[in-house]
Amino acid sequence: MIAHLIAGLKRAFGMYRPRRDLRIWPDDVFLVSFPKSGNTWTRFLIGNLVYPNERVDFANIHHLIPDPYGTSKRDFDRMSRPRIIKSHECFEPRYPRAMYIVRDPRDVVVSQYHYHRKCKKIEDGYPMEKFVARFLAGETCPHGSWGESVTTWLTSRYNDPRFLLLRYEDMVADPRRELARVATFLNIPTDVERISQAVDRSAADRMRKLEKLQSDKNSLTKDSRKDLSFVRAAKSGGWRDELSNDLAGQIEAKWGHIMTFLNYPLATRETGSVEPELAGFMPTGSKR
Amino acid sequence: MLRRAIVEAKRVFGLHSPGRHLAVFPDDTFLVSFPKSGNTWARFLIANLVRPNEKIDFSNVNRVIPGPEVTRNRDLLRIPRPRIIKSHQCFDPRYPRVIYIARDPRDVVVSQYHFQRKRKLVADQFPLSEFVDRFLAGQTCFYGSWGEHLASWVATRHGQPGFLLLKYENMVGDTMHELSKVATFLGLAASAHQIAQAVERSSVDTMRQLEKSQAQLFTSTKNTRQDIPFVRAAKAGGWRSSLPEESAVKIEEAWGHLIRWLGYETTHSDAGSTVSQQADLLVGPRP
Repeated sequence: MIAHLIAGLKRAFGMYRPRRDLRIWPDDVFLVSFPKSGNTWTRFLIGNLVYPNERVDFANIHHLIPDPYGTSKRDFDRMSRPRIIKSHECFEPRYPRAMYIVRDPRDVVVSQYHYHRKCKKIEDGYPMEKFVARFLAGETCPHGSWGESVTTWLTSRYNDPRFLLLRYEDMVADPRRELARVATFLNIPTDVERISQAVDRSAADRMRKLEKLQSDKNSLTKDSRKDLSFVRAAKSGGWRDELSNDLAGQIEAKWGHIMTFLNYPLATRETGSVEPELAGFMPTGSKR
Repeated sequence: MLRRAIVEAKRVFGLHSPGRHLAVFPDDTFLVSFPKSGNTWARFLIANLVRPNEKIDFSNVNRVIPGPEVTRNRDLLRIPRPRIIKSHQCFDPRYPRVIYIARDPRDVVVSQYHFQRKRKLVADQFPLSEFVDRFLAGQTCFYGSWGEHLASWVATRHGQPGFLLLKYENMVGDTMHELSKVATFLGLAASAHQIAQAVERSSVDTMRQLEKSQAQLFTSTKNTRQDIPFVRAAKAGGWRSSLPEESAVKIEEAWGHLIRWLGYETTHSDAGSTVSQQADLLVGPRP
């Protein structure tokens, strides 16, 4: 009861995390992804691009590109607009504009596995087979499965002017080009110098150094194991060293049709497992 | 500030409606649809089936099959489990089991237009064609557009265990048959007699009679125009006589692929076929 009252008081003063009750403005832009798909790196990139005088780090990122699950309502209300907001939600019709980052699910599951070790949710040596099974069932995080997250966004907003699809792999291969696409989407000047500066300030090495100094200042890394780093490989295709053929095959059997659409070559089968009589489920003409 | 304090005090005692912060239990079943797709009728049918000793009406249906947008948190936590809960939300990964009602969007828009007249959200002379444009843009309610709603559920859950897709048109065509599918899905051992009784108790005539005496007892009809009924035509295909042709074409252009996937006829055969070059993102067989 006392705990309830304290929670009530906190709420009254806006000191709670708004989560899905976040009040949304028509000029908000959301940076959405399934967890472990490069969202934090992209926040650094965009934060450094939009706020060139601020030098983004793990301490100020929650103010610059806040997370409704990590930042208080009061801080949200005090932000200057237009806001850019981080999100891991499945399709949310209230988001006026969204950038969605996809990443190869075979790499996502490996990244999530190590993040769960870091957060002490699983022990070292936890069987990867078990983790992949839970990942496929959408049980490794509260935001649905990888397939659900991607499918809900693509079927509702793909090819829509309110939507920008980013591939993590493209960002790794050519961050300047991809950040320029983001800048265009955000109506920010795309001058080469400013983009290069943002990319350099968000480099994996720099983020690793910052993480060492600031891991207690960010809810993503606070209270987690310090012997494992949050900024890990920052590469694509690492799954080949960590997933057995069988496990990769399980992921491809379930989501091969989505992976094929996203141009992730399948390693264990020909193409996606879509039955020919099934209709496409992507948005069409009039919104284009 | 005082208003805020009252809101927060209510929350402390669980008197608020939880909305999307509803605590979901693993044995919950959600009855999901885009608005104006027969959800209230389906609630009557299912509630009459699971509570045969308690004739369902507009005053008690919210108690038997509550909606997290209108029912108080305290009451939601007190209903006996397993719960059946109404929802108009787009895909929510937390819902463990889902009955999804789909309805032809050309009928949905007409129904929504009249419902919003009833609720004084649009004036009588507001052009239906303009309403259709807002409908296509997902601006006539808080739950996204019809296409976003349907695709978000069907492309993620159709063909998976724990998902039952119903079509409003089939429910109108053979109510007994569709309700027995629901009974099986819910694991109810319902006899043909019990199903027939639930169908009878949820008939359009019964619901119209109840609406006349209970309009002020039901959230969707309270404080609305009483000259327009909530239980309206209760038919399928009414759009053919009431929807302007160019509006029907627009809907088919936007969602032809979904309309055809559901098995509804399009009047323009190539409507919405621009999608065919897209990847198939749908899992499972056609309904």
